[in-house]
Amino acid sequence: MKKIQILGTGCAKCIKLTENAKKAAEEAGVACEIEKVTELTKIIDLGVMMTPALAIDGEVKSVGKVLSVEEIKKLL
Amino acid sequence: MSEKEISLKTVNNACCGAEAKAVILGCSGGSNVGQIANNLMIELDKSGIGNAYCLAGVGAGLSGFVETAKSARTIVIDGCPVACAKKVFEKYGIAPTQYFVVTEMGIEKNHFFDALKEETAQALSYIREKIG
Repeated sequence: MKKIQILGTGCAKCIKLTENAKKAAEEAGVACEIEKVTELTKIIDLGVMMTPALAIDGEVKSVGKVLSVEEIKKLL
Repeated sequence: MSEKEISLKTVNNACCGAEAKAVILGCSGGSNVGQIANNLMIELDKSGIGNAYCLAGVGAGLSGFVETAKSARTIVIDGCPVACAKKVFEKYGIAPTQYFVVTEMGIEKNHFFDALKEETAQALSYIREKIG
């Protein structure tokens, strides 16, 4: 199972990115656990300076943007 | 300053629609100009121009650092024309938004650290004029 982390404090963009990630996992048929990381110290420890960010299995894949469903599917 | 305040200062709130600050990276090398690059990064952070950032994290290929460097506006400061910081960026196909070299600010490279304060002030005056 893949682990998708959504890094951000929980604003509208973070929520949209989470929705897109869920949809991408469903459409791609990939079993994923989705975790929201809202604690700023954890986000900074990952080197992320702009949110929302998305990580898959611990690798940060995008920073400061809301990836589309199709973009996330390609990453999966 | 509390941990939360420090975190809020550091992370750009692009999430909430605010324009993200630039991230600033200095080469921090083992010469006077390398250390001046580091000092410039700190001074520019203190004056609110951007946030000091970790070149070593980018150099080490840590994904969060590399992706932030790719997405953010970046101010990269090298000490000398060897351009290590710029080459770290090139390794990942990133071009700095703004790029400076301390030896181009009228400061000669050496391995003495006695005049760092004065040399940093000179370089800061130069870079502030360029950044605006």
